[in-house]
Amino acid sequence: MSGILNLILWLPVVGMIGVLVTPKGKDQLVRYISLGATALTFIVTILLYLRFDESNPNVQQVFQVPWIEQFHINYALGIDGISLPMILLTGLLFFICILSSWTITKSVKAYFALLLMLESSVFGVFMSLDFFLFYVYWEVMLLPMFFLIGIWGGENREYAAVKFFLYTFFGSIVMLVGIIALYYATGKGPDSFSILALQGGHFTDMTVNVFGTDFSFEKLFFWSMFLGFAIKVPIFPFHTWLPHAHVQAPTAVSVILAGVLLKMGTYGFLRIAFPIFPSAAVEYSTAIAILGVISVIYGAFCAMAQNDVKKLVAYSSVSHMGFVMMGLAAMTIQGMNGAVLQMFNHGTSTAMMFLMIGVIYERSHHRWIVRPDGTKGYGGIAAHLPRYTVVFIIGMFASLGLPGLSGFISEALIFLGIYQRFTTITVIAVLGLLIGAAYLLWMYKRMFFGEPSDEVKSYSDMNAREVFYMVPLCIAVIVFGVYPAPILNIMKSSVGQLVELMAQFQ
Amino acid sequence: MKLALLANISFYIPELIAILTMCSLLFFEAAYSDEERKRTFVYIVGLIGLAVCMIMLVANLGTEPKSLFAKAVVIDNFSTSMKMIMVLGTLGTFYISYKSNDIYESLKSEYLVMAVGVLVGGMLLASANNMLTLYLGVETLSILSYVMTSMKRKDSLSTEAGMKYALYGGITAGVMLFGISHLYGIFGSIHFAEIAAAIPALEGAKLTAAIVAFLLFFVGLGYKVAAFPFHMWSPDVYQGSPIPVTAFFSIVPKLAGIAAIVRVSTTLFGGDSSMSLTWIAFLKVTAIMTMTVGNISALNQESVKRMLAFSSIGHVGMLLMGVIVMNEMGTNAILYYALIYMFMTLTAFLVTCLVSNRYGSDKMVYFRGLVNEHPLMAISFTIILFSLAGVPPFGGFIAKFNIISAAIDSKLYTISFIAAINSVIALYYYLRLAKTMILDPSDGKDQLRGASFVSHLVVAGLTIPVILLGIFWGKIYHLYSFAKLYIDS
Repeated sequence: MSGILNLILWLPVVGMIGVLVTPKGKDQLVRYISLGATALTFIVTILLYLRFDESNPNVQQVFQVPWIEQFHINYALGIDGISLPMILLTGLLFFICILSSWTITKSVKAYFALLLMLESSVFGVFMSLDFFLFYVYWEVMLLPMFFLIGIWGGENREYAAVKFFLYTFFGSIVMLVGIIALYYATGKGPDSFSILALQGGHFTDMTVNVFGTDFSFEKLFFWSMFLGFAIKVPIFPFHTWLPHAHVQAPTAVSVILAGVLLKMGTYGFLRIAFPIFPSAAVEYSTAIAILGVISVIYGAFCAMAQNDVKKLVAYSSVSHMGFVMMGLAAMTIQGMNGAVLQMFNHGTSTAMMFLMIGVIYERSHHRWIVRPDGTKGYGGIAAHLPRYTVVFIIGMFASLGLPGLSGFISEALIFLGIYQRFTTITVIAVLGLLIGAAYLLWMYKRMFFGEPSDEVKSYSDMNAREVFYMVPLCIAVIVFGVYPAPILNIMKSSVGQLVELMAQFQ
Repeated sequence: MKLALLANISFYIPELIAILTMCSLLFFEAAYSDEERKRTFVYIVGLIGLAVCMIMLVANLGTEPKSLFAKAVVIDNFSTSMKMIMVLGTLGTFYISYKSNDIYESLKSEYLVMAVGVLVGGMLLASANNMLTLYLGVETLSILSYVMTSMKRKDSLSTEAGMKYALYGGITAGVMLFGISHLYGIFGSIHFAEIAAAIPALEGAKLTAAIVAFLLFFVGLGYKVAAFPFHMWSPDVYQGSPIPVTAFFSIVPKLAGIAAIVRVSTTLFGGDSSMSLTWIAFLKVTAIMTMTVGNISALNQESVKRMLAFSSIGHVGMLLMGVIVMNEMGTNAILYYALIYMFMTLTAFLVTCLVSNRYGSDKMVYFRGLVNEHPLMAISFTIILFSLAGVPPFGGFIAKFNIISAAIDSKLYTISFIAAINSVIALYYYLRLAKTMILDPSDGKDQLRGASFVSHLVVAGLTIPVILLGIFWGKIYHLYSFAKLYIDS
């Protein structure tokens, strides 16, 4: 039994309570409390990393107490090499988001309290070893997101918030039926809600009767889980909520959404859908790879067509998450490692992009590359804001997959992995990289080159706080681009174990 | 024999206390002349009466299940638990009626008398063990309900609703009685147990006649819980009635009806005769249609009361799903659902009542930006809405989880998927209201009248159980696991 996971999980909640009991009007104090809570949490996640045994592929730091004994539901936490990178990423990004939210002035208390609640529930998703607990955290996360988008968002925030909530809820409630079905399929035993005990393909031969027809239990509930996770990732054609949510959300929430929440979908595949239903996953891996490559290409083309820079980056997330799905579908050592690494790297690079857009938005109050009436939005930033330009370039090239920066390694690994199984798809997906480079560079050209307008000239360059919170991300993007071994070492043995499991069903 | 019947009374004390409360309410109502003091006093009498009734029910919980009065009523833990929830619900609506402007002014405390009267009918219905007791329960419930609906005497909607309710109720009661008389003709008995014993032997024309008769019989029950296709009256009645009455209607008659349906289904159709299969198939269709129609109709309602009315039809569909399971898990899940549903409904209607007091209307626009003036009310109501939709970590999620679990345990996958999809439809309209309260800007409204400290306390007091029951539900669920249905033979 180890308490360190509890510490990570509940520190934000303590911070949230601290924020809530702060007297009215002390906004600055609220900010410092939130900052302190997230900073402490991040430090503890690093301690967790130091205590992590990289050679052990199984879950570690397990903490388990019974919750609802009649149903054998436990409060069970644990981490392995797949969840640890996500936990590190979450800890880092929330700390940065609190800093980037310093300028929020509308209902400060509620904002920071919700952000801290969100952090705790995200940790909960990545740590849960109990399916019921997982589901509760998965859903609880929607509540703060709904309000964060709906209250602090842009003009069309309410529509975006409702759409986000409904979409995700639809996916997860279908997943819930699967969770309950699994519970009864295992005979209501003491391990029926344990994610780990369910893994290993115990449901291959069972059938269920739905709508008067017999279905394979494994296939039916693989798809029910698939739907829940695919909406979250989001894979084409379930991605339509994402651009709305991103464009309307405040900067910090966009960062969390793209940086962490999307990864919960792919994490769900890695932790639940694939290991619990391996033979269905193997059978449908081609379909998943095809959906992945459609996401890559389609997301990239959509991004190219955008004039709103935030929407552009939002669609680029669809494209980049498509790579992750392809890596998962490959089910090879390189592919899976690449996928998990891409989850981490996309988290840092896309967070940089959204943060940088937030920085410029605070100055310009618009996000147009080209305004709807055809006139120029931004332009000539490079000549006027040097610091901003440098940081933006780092983020953009990481996102683009330039060798030497983090995106390249993970994408290269994914291609290595998937080439062994789906040659055609690989060839098509490489085109996605090309389109990716095209839309990012084109965006860069339109925003940064040319003569600065008077409006652009009035912008001030990044201040110390903004530079301060961008530095860790810049470091992460560069260091893990040159030397990805620390992250790869964390995940290596756990991913290896998963690949071995999947190989048994091929 | 007569003495034995008299001895039975000792198990029937809760009902007797409720009847006594009703009588003393009538008495005090007439005795006082000072209107305001009378009002307070009568409320206190009602409160004490029901509190005693509640204590007696708790005392009944542990006893052996038994049938009383020549097997006319059954006292078992299931019916007692259901009655406890009904009594709590009635107590809650007392507070709403105390606050509501809908009734006040023209009527002072008549609400209590009738509410307790309906409660007595509901308790009878929840314990009914033969056709006549059941019919008596339905009628006691109904006749007083018609009057309660029209309590807003000067409001044409309320009068119309009362008229509709009475007409609809009269017809369905007639149809039900017609069915019961057929059943008596076929089986020669009105006792559930005796009918159940004769069902497997039915064949040929008699079987067909029995199926038709049972369907006619179901009309009365279906109408009482507002199950599809007998739900048509419910939105108009709910909208027309004064708010405390609407709250009351969504709790007591519904739960009583569900309790009766559970008992009828389990006692009569527990076997696997073709009769039972027909009944269950019929209930399945009814449940699916009820939740789907209820939720879809709720989507575009502007009146919050009407929206909640449709949503309660959706919830009845979920409860019926628990009935179809026909086992202990199902009844446990129903009890848990009923408990949570009671808390959620009371909170929802209390806040609606306060808003409607202020604006004279319960249109959704008047909820705009409620969070700015009354954060506690708005946040509590939002929690309730999320809970109604079945979002964890609130009680409504666990309630739904239990019902769907029970269904999946019995391999009812189709209906489980349909229920899941229904939750999403329901979420949309709940979110709409939550959005209106929290996300929309307020138009600089005044404080709500009657939103006193006590009201805030009551709202919080009703919301906290919903949260706690969503997290620590093991204990309560465990309590219910002994609430078995008693089938006497």
